[in-house]
Amino acid sequence: MASVRAASRLLSRRTISHVKAISTQYPVVDHEFDAVVVGAGGAGLRAAFGLSEAGFNTACVTKLFPTRSHTVAAQGGINAALGNMEDDDWRWHFYDTVKGSDWLGDQDAIHYMTEQAPAAVVELENFGMPFSRTEDGKIYQRAFGGQSLKYGKGGQAHRCCCVADRTGHSLLHTLYGRSLRYDTSYFVEYFALDLLMEDGQCKGVIALCMEDGSIHRFRAQNTVIATGGYGRTYFSCTSAHTSTGDGNAMVTRAGLPCQDLEFVQFHPTGIYGAGCLITEGCRGEGGILINSEGERFMERYAPNAKDLASRDVVSRSMTIEIREGRGVGPEKDHVYLQLHHLPPQQLATRLPGISETAMIFAGVDVTKEPIPVLPTVHYNMGGIPTNYKGQVIDYTDGKDTVVPGLYACGEAACASVHGANRLGANSLLDLVVFGRACALTIANEHKPGEKLSPLKPSAGEESVANLDKLRFANGSLRTSEIRLNMQKTMQNHAAVFRTGSVLKEGCDKMDDIYQTMEQIKTFDRGIVWNTDLVESLELQNLMLNAVQTINSAEQRKESRGAHAREDFRDRVDEFDYSKPLQGQEKKPFDQHWRKHTLSYVDPKTGKVTLKYRPVIDTSLDEQDCAHVPPAIRSY
Amino acid sequence: MFFLRVWVSASKQAVSRGVSVESVLTGCTRAASGTATDKEPLRKAKTPQGRFDVPEGKNKDVLEKFPDDVNPATKEKGGPRGPEPTRYGDWERRGRCVDF
Repeated sequence: MASVRAASRLLSRRTISHVKAISTQYPVVDHEFDAVVVGAGGAGLRAAFGLSEAGFNTACVTKLFPTRSHTVAAQGGINAALGNMEDDDWRWHFYDTVKGSDWLGDQDAIHYMTEQAPAAVVELENFGMPFSRTEDGKIYQRAFGGQSLKYGKGGQAHRCCCVADRTGHSLLHTLYGRSLRYDTSYFVEYFALDLLMEDGQCKGVIALCMEDGSIHRFRAQNTVIATGGYGRTYFSCTSAHTSTGDGNAMVTRAGLPCQDLEFVQFHPTGIYGAGCLITEGCRGEGGILINSEGERFMERYAPNAKDLASRDVVSRSMTIEIREGRGVGPEKDHVYLQLHHLPPQQLATRLPGISETAMIFAGVDVTKEPIPVLPTVHYNMGGIPTNYKGQVIDYTDGKDTVVPGLYACGEAACASVHGANRLGANSLLDLVVFGRACALTIANEHKPGEKLSPLKPSAGEESVANLDKLRFANGSLRTSEIRLNMQKTMQNHAAVFRTGSVLKEGCDKMDDIYQTMEQIKTFDRGIVWNTDLVESLELQNLMLNAVQTINSAEQRKESRGAHAREDFRDRVDEFDYSKPLQGQEKKPFDQHWRKHTLSYVDPKTGKVTLKYRPVIDTSLDEQDCAHVPPAIRSY
Repeated sequence: MFFLRVWVSASKQAVSRGVSVESVLTGCTRAASGTATDKEPLRKAKTPQGRFDVPEGKNKDVLEKFPDDVNPATKEKGGPRGPEPTRYGDWERRGRCVDF
């Protein structure tokens, strides 16, 4: 009540002196909950209703309606060692995931995820998710890349469970429908600005209500961040316009690190402009990549495999062609995928629907013109560092310390189950397992209705000041211009082709672009549904993610998983695993690269500081599931 | 009822003017009685063909549904329509690759 009265007093003061006042006052509403979840995608919804189910008074703060989160685009399936198609063991799934991560994944988190996988999928199925079935009525599982039996020696495993071709959509709707059974309070279209941190403890979130411009402070004993990835830092990405890494940025501004941001997954053929990916089957059926000279350039880079070379080889070749000036289009920044030399009947039977896709997304008739493509971002392995229970950690004095009151799950978190490279179908699994893990951890360690620790009345002042500054920004560069500069720089310098000089140049350019944020200009001065303001806030978040990504990539002098460098082509571990270990001396921690990068940013200057944290090599229970010692990763 | 009385008085005046109000009266009684005992069927309103209206029979999806939703090759029930999405090593759907 006091805050409402104060707000009305402020409002009345505003109307009297609004002519002279530069910054306006905002009505602030305070809320108290047991737990607040930021983000309502797969992981956020699972955490929110897990907490509500356990009796906690939970708020779910999201800038999008839950069923509009980017999880809806994940059409593939979820991996789980259910053993419906052949005998399967979750320990084989564990091995595959550890190997896929190029031994940068924390094996205790991977153990947790793969062991919980069958239970998680069965739980989803019990919630009503309509998985496809075999004749016997069991969940149908199909083969997908990177999954094997008997620790890689037993052939292809069938582990991917799906719902027709809309698993992510179905998952989101199932979870949302389920969450409505419990009394979670949804705050939809509230943009979370910052964490409320005091004495190193997270005491809640401050958010802007987009509908009426009021500021809301959510005080809670437990905060869960599930805000998704940050694909929009790159010019070409498959993610929604809303994938802006808000959670990572909030954590960075709170002085906490982000982990392994340099590991970004690329796909070679994404449609220029739209960002949708074209299947590798196009090249498998005979499609070829050509540059501005009409040359089939893959013949030079991979004389035997040509266009069917592995994804990273194709992506790098395309990038090198573009860098050397043989790109196509007015800005010479992409290449062409040619399919019109193939008989149209063959295209229609082998790849049904491709002509519509090409027409809708690229505006080309695939039987006459080539499709413009370039390497496209589709997943961010890095994020907020957590332990296997979902608690956010910091690395001080040589050990992991838990940040009280703060948890993270989903693509925003880095547990780290994907390590340096994510296997397909593991991402949806990661969402549900760690969303549930956060809810379970909170339920174990806290009780509903616990008294909240006191919070300074001025908490969140800086966030409001920043908001106010952006709302009345009157510099020389529009938000869209700065954003495009950042995206083009990241695409040119921190994409697939990474080498020392290119990365260093990119770091300097990003530094300059970060400084140009001071000259940002916004046009909408209103308070109701101010998308200009929200986009500028998102740009601030993207910037923090981008500088950390490119600086971490520049410092990591090796090639591991998705981070491949031309000047350091090999993995640099503590031992050389390509030779027998006997007789080898273990390299000291600061001379090898099998470690997690932790990046901190000073938000005022944009300066990035890096620290390193060792990989957790032991599983949760060595008797039950032995850890996998590092080896050379070859398939 | 008031309405009917007004009409009746109006029709009386119309009769004096020589206008046939039989049909009007029957219409009123029809409305008053509440049941639609139509001698002629009600005509459907004709809306103009919209720009985006697809005439019947043209809206065939390129990916056809399996009979009973069961894939004949793999016996999968409720699975993705059309050719197997994972046949090229990624998840292919209408030429697009989906990441998940």
